[in-house]
Amino acid sequence: MIVERDRLPEELQSIPAEEFRRSERDWQTDERFTTEPIGFYKDALRRLFSNKVSVVSLAAIVIIIVLALIVPNVTGYGYTEQNVKQKNLPSKVPGLCRLGILDGTRVLTNIKKTSISDPKRYPEGCVLEVIREYKAGKQTVVDVKVDYYKYCGVPEGEYHWMGTDYLGRDILTRLFKGTRISLMIAFLSVVTNLIIGVVYGSVAGYYGGRVDLFLTHLAEVLDGLPYIVVTILFMLWLGSGMLSIVLALTVTGWIGTARLTRAQFYRYKGREYVLAARTLGVPDKKLIFRHILPNTVGPLITRAMIAVPGAIFSESFLAYIGLGIKPPEPSIGILLSEGQKVLLQYPNQTFFPAVLISVLMIAFNMLSNGLRDAMDPSRRGED
Amino acid sequence: MFKYVLGRLGAMLLTLFLVMTLSFWVIRLMPMTIFENPEVSPEVQRRLEDRMHLHEPMIVQYYYFIEGIVTRGDFGTSVKIRPGLAVFDIIRERIPPTMLLNFFSLFISIPLGIIAGTIAALRRNTWADNVISFLIVIFISVPSFVFASLLQYVFAFAVPLFPTLYNAQAPTVWAAFHSMVLPIVALSLNPIATIARYLRGELIETLSSEYMLLARTKGLTQKEATWRHAFRNSLVPIANTIIPLITGIMGGSLVIEKIFAVPGEGGLLVDSILGGDHFLTVALLIFYSFISLVTIFVVDVSYGIIDPRIRIGGGK
Repeated sequence: MIVERDRLPEELQSIPAEEFRRSERDWQTDERFTTEPIGFYKDALRRLFSNKVSVVSLAAIVIIIVLALIVPNVTGYGYTEQNVKQKNLPSKVPGLCRLGILDGTRVLTNIKKTSISDPKRYPEGCVLEVIREYKAGKQTVVDVKVDYYKYCGVPEGEYHWMGTDYLGRDILTRLFKGTRISLMIAFLSVVTNLIIGVVYGSVAGYYGGRVDLFLTHLAEVLDGLPYIVVTILFMLWLGSGMLSIVLALTVTGWIGTARLTRAQFYRYKGREYVLAARTLGVPDKKLIFRHILPNTVGPLITRAMIAVPGAIFSESFLAYIGLGIKPPEPSIGILLSEGQKVLLQYPNQTFFPAVLISVLMIAFNMLSNGLRDAMDPSRRGED
Repeated sequence: MFKYVLGRLGAMLLTLFLVMTLSFWVIRLMPMTIFENPEVSPEVQRRLEDRMHLHEPMIVQYYYFIEGIVTRGDFGTSVKIRPGLAVFDIIRERIPPTMLLNFFSLFISIPLGIIAGTIAALRRNTWADNVISFLIVIFISVPSFVFASLLQYVFAFAVPLFPTLYNAQAPTVWAAFHSMVLPIVALSLNPIATIARYLRGELIETLSSEYMLLARTKGLTQKEATWRHAFRNSLVPIANTIIPLITGIMGGSLVIEKIFAVPGEGGLLVDSILGGDHFLTVALLIFYSFISLVTIFVVDVSYGIIDPRIRIGGGK
């Protein structure tokens, strides 16, 4: 405020100039941030990694993926390589076999005692121990523990860590080759679901009105069809194969993603910043993909993560009902359903795929739980 | 409300018609012989094919198919699984075992799920909650057919407590029930975990809500408040998981029925697909769609009944 000099009181007007001094303004400065700024994704990642369960799950998934990439190439067996003489071998692991576990032995029951000494049927040194001897009619019958590898004439130094299946194929090779295929099916179907769902949901959510009404109703009709029925019909139509499984999992899979994307668009499209961008003449395409869609990335990642174990499960389920991928190709589901047929005789053929799929499913579920918590904006800064 | 229900019913019928049409065309246009039996002479086979209108154009066959269902409830005749038998009768005859199994499964999974979920929520972050939450993750993640195999191997083979397979012709009721235990357990693990997980999440949220504080302020004990306010309100969303269980009672699980050799609907669908019995497959797909549509319908309508806050149709 400028006050005219001559309107000031007398005594103030006569103050000599040297008496004046610049007032010391008490400058209030904001403290400079010394810490690094943490964005949403960085924070989410930090919280994800501070969760032990998530870290362990992530590690398990990474290990399985790495094994799936490496193992089939280093076992020395092809995944379709058959050997009818060496079928249904038990598992034998180098190192462990000295300890007496997974040593490739099996108990054979109800064998004529006389046949044991026949070297044609029981090669030298394959009978390790006679467990029980009893009479059945006139014959003396025995239960013997045999080195099944010698019994089948497998050369010394050859190992099938998880045994072989009914065609003499190495299960270890097939299991990890199958894991590769199952994971591929899962990822492919999730990615296709995401792409279709995001585009569909974006269009419906962004344009609204009649377009939205039509698209939403269309999705609703499709969603009304039961999942099992649609998948089975699709598999029957396209025939078995990897691509048809991916497509069958996509037919109804994208609807959830589309719904989520649409809801997010309704939330954000009315915001001021979108209005501002539109006022500046930003085209629709750019508005959708540049300005609104990034807001939905968080929930979409979580959703995709949850969908992966679902897809793995569906693949196994289809294999069980005979609609899996084409025969010599393995998948976890194929191995499980083949193993199930001989579960009581050769449990190892079911055991290993069962453990692998269980670990995989648990890990993906735990990781997606952790991811959901980490990406939940309402929990930000809780810890 | 009435208008809403009517609308839903109409949509349901439309969807069902869509399923019929889709199943018919997809399955009948597959490059496979519909009818094939080496023991039947070509002449007889031709006559049989004539009777099934197999020589007519597809569109005419489609008309016969829809007409049969709508006017006579005739879904066709089985040609491979049970040749000569009406498909509808085969499906009907398979309902009892499936229903029995699912009924028992429901009978144990709903109470167990509710109890487990409640304990976990009330004793949040204690060892009890940790154990239950861990089990929930296991039961939800591990596929039911893995559990079925595990149960079959451990409790029927390694420790022979139960029969390996379901026994439909068991001499006594007890023996029949005995053979049903393993499939029932295998069927129940997932629903128990699903119910428990939902209820736990719901209860934890309601327990920290303001009306719980109000209930405590007006003098209710924690127990009374939990029972009268929190628990009841948490049950509303649980209906969403329980109703499909109830209506799904006739559907059965495809894989578990297959593993335990249960002569039910699920196993029948698998067999009909593997055996290429097309009329049976079409009818079963329609059957499954029907169940699923009824479920969606009941869930939608029941929301308005269970929870008075949700009355669709403008609260009329």
